[in-house]
Amino acid sequence: MSISSSKKITKILGAELDKLVSLPLIWLTLIGTFILNLVLAAAFTSAGLQGAAGTQSILNIGLASMGYLQAGFIILGISATCSEYTSGQIRTTLTVIPWRGFQLSAKHLALAVITIPAAFIIAASGILYTFMMMRDTAVGFEIDTMIETLVGATGYLTLTTLLSAAIGALLRRTTPALVMLLGYYFIISPLSRDFLPNYFPDTAGYYMYMPASNDEINVLTPMQGTGILMLWTLIFIKVAIIFYRQRDA
Amino acid sequence: MLTINNLVKHRGTDKILSGISFKARPGRVTGFLGPNGAGKSSTLRILLGLDHATSGSALINGKPFAELHNPLTTVGAALDGFGAHRMRTGRAHLRWIARAAGLSRSRVEEVLEIVGLTNAAGKRVGSYSLGMGKRLGMAAALLGDPQILVLDEPVNGLDPEGIRWIRTFLRERAQSGNTVLLSSHLMGELAETVDDVVIIHHGKVVADGTLEEVIGNHSTLEEAFFALTSEHAGDVV
Amino acid sequence: MRALNAELSKLFSLPGIWLAFLIGALAPAVIAALDSIVEKEDIIAGVSTRLAEIGYSGLGFGVQGVIILGVLSVSSEYLTESSESGGGQQITTSLTVVPSRPHFLMAKAGAVTVTSILLCMVAMMTTVSATHLILGEYAPAFEASRLIGVVCYWTFTALLAFGITVLTKNGIIPLTVLIINSSVISFSFLLSKITKLAFYLPDRAGIEMFMSFNDESNAIFNRFHTPFTAGLVMLVWVAVFFIVAVIVFHRRDVAA
Repeated sequence: MSISSSKKITKILGAELDKLVSLPLIWLTLIGTFILNLVLAAAFTSAGLQGAAGTQSILNIGLASMGYLQAGFIILGISATCSEYTSGQIRTTLTVIPWRGFQLSAKHLALAVITIPAAFIIAASGILYTFMMMRDTAVGFEIDTMIETLVGATGYLTLTTLLSAAIGALLRRTTPALVMLLGYYFIISPLSRDFLPNYFPDTAGYYMYMPASNDEINVLTPMQGTGILMLWTLIFIKVAIIFYRQRDA
Repeated sequence: MLTINNLVKHRGTDKILSGISFKARPGRVTGFLGPNGAGKSSTLRILLGLDHATSGSALINGKPFAELHNPLTTVGAALDGFGAHRMRTGRAHLRWIARAAGLSRSRVEEVLEIVGLTNAAGKRVGSYSLGMGKRLGMAAALLGDPQILVLDEPVNGLDPEGIRWIRTFLRERAQSGNTVLLSSHLMGELAETVDDVVIIHHGKVVADGTLEEVIGNHSTLEEAFFALTSEHAGDVV
Repeated sequence: MRALNAELSKLFSLPGIWLAFLIGALAPAVIAALDSIVEKEDIIAGVSTRLAEIGYSGLGFGVQGVIILGVLSVSSEYLTESSESGGGQQITTSLTVVPSRPHFLMAKAGAVTVTSILLCMVAMMTTVSATHLILGEYAPAFEASRLIGVVCYWTFTALLAFGITVLTKNGIIPLTVLIINSSVISFSFLLSKITKLAFYLPDRAGIEMFMSFNDESNAIFNRFHTPFTAGLVMLVWVAVFFIVAVIVFHRRDVAA
């Protein structure tokens, strides 16, 4: 039984990967995000060069674009799950893979498989660009710190993607999902940052990649940040699966 | 063998199905008829595990759809609509389905050949005509070479050649011992294809039997259908 | 006129439109209320530096509502995201009902304009009530000229969203760009650190129709345009996008 069900999982995972890879929207989003990130890195670097030289860290400038970058990954997550609801593909999916919990989990797993390398490359390219442009003027950094930061940024972007995918699966329509997520990440969260504790997905996840400065209160360690964001992501995926199993396709 | 047993479906306060029971047997083509909104699609969706029944059961070889070990090789289904994302190519669509069932890529080319889509397989589904979309749906249903076929309006949008192909194809499938259930409202077409007929109206079965039994004293299947489904014919069973 | 009515009824029956109305009508009031609560003590003591902005910053964010409105009005014509539809797009029906494409776009833009103005008025009413409820006699007076600026900002933004979506046919890109750009970390804000040309971007210029930028400590927060030239700059952007949209839409095959 365990052999057959592990085989089953491999097959479903393969099918979900095939689905994502054959969707042009996924590639367009990733390529668009990559290019946009380089443009933003150039903008931040140029703003940094105009500013007081020698006071800024390359890592901080290289990761300044993360705020925008997450929009690309939010779109990626939403497209992955909402694309099922275009032209009734969900019916094909469920007649081929009727085990709904398995299917949606496999989709998130497949998405993670694609997102992790993409997030790493995109985050690294921003830092690399900043490094090349600013190595003479800015404060250098340790290679260890850079790797930790990059791993943190990759983890943050991947978990954000999975969270968005879960929201997409819950709402089933691209526009409301996009409006809610972008509205939260870009409007509500920045406005309410001073009032609310930093236990929300984006504020906790921030500490995964940003080295905390000492003057802040309530700082989280990168591990705490990861834990909280992961908890949010798992809760949303679980809720999405519960709804997915109960409702008519 | 498909067994629908006292199926009830409510959606909000609407009663979509109120106690549907019938069987589709191996070796026969069963036609499933009813006016728009009678509950045909709902029945098929419950049978395929897409919708949840309020009560009753719809079983495939004695099991609910979700408990089938390998659904694709047991039941092939083509529902209304393309069932494929518009931005994917037809071939890519069939490939992920094949992957899910552990079938080879050469099987994808085989079914593309069977339904006559080989030349259009590299195009995006969004550019397909209605008939090509139907053929793609058929290809997906045939991928696992299943013993049971469930088809919703299979001839809708097909050209005359395609309709004739479907007719002979389904007859052949049934003669080799497979089960075929298809819904339609094209009476003339159906009368030439099916062995058994189930007619539903307002979520209830109003006729169930062989083609000859259902036609009975009427001249054609169409006459019988209108006699059974017109508003004053509720007591005719 | 009949086409305009048709577009209005289409707009109001859209499945996602409630989100636009909800955000447009309530978000400004909520933000204004939060602002008022935070600043209340300072305002009563007469030391608040942000009195002039109370309410307006909320109205600046509430523009989200009309962004959704402008985008949805077009993207819904192309949308096939339904489990039932077999791939039919409403645009085909629309263009057989109103065959002249420029007329079709004008009617649609007209419907978006009318709805944006109405929504903006509702938003102003809720915002003014919210500030009065919390600040009472200390509530700032809302000047007509600045409120007109808000209406123009909302309407122009909605039309901008409309024009961009006609070009992309898909709501994802315009929604993302415009929502991020109306946030506190907009692209235009970032660009304005690098080049003065960024002050001529539509959102950065448009917001000067009603926001008073008088933060002396930071040059990028300073006023760059007068409210009138700001409106003019934004109007030029809207006109350019609209003309391009009409030309592209006129030449394009529906199925393409």
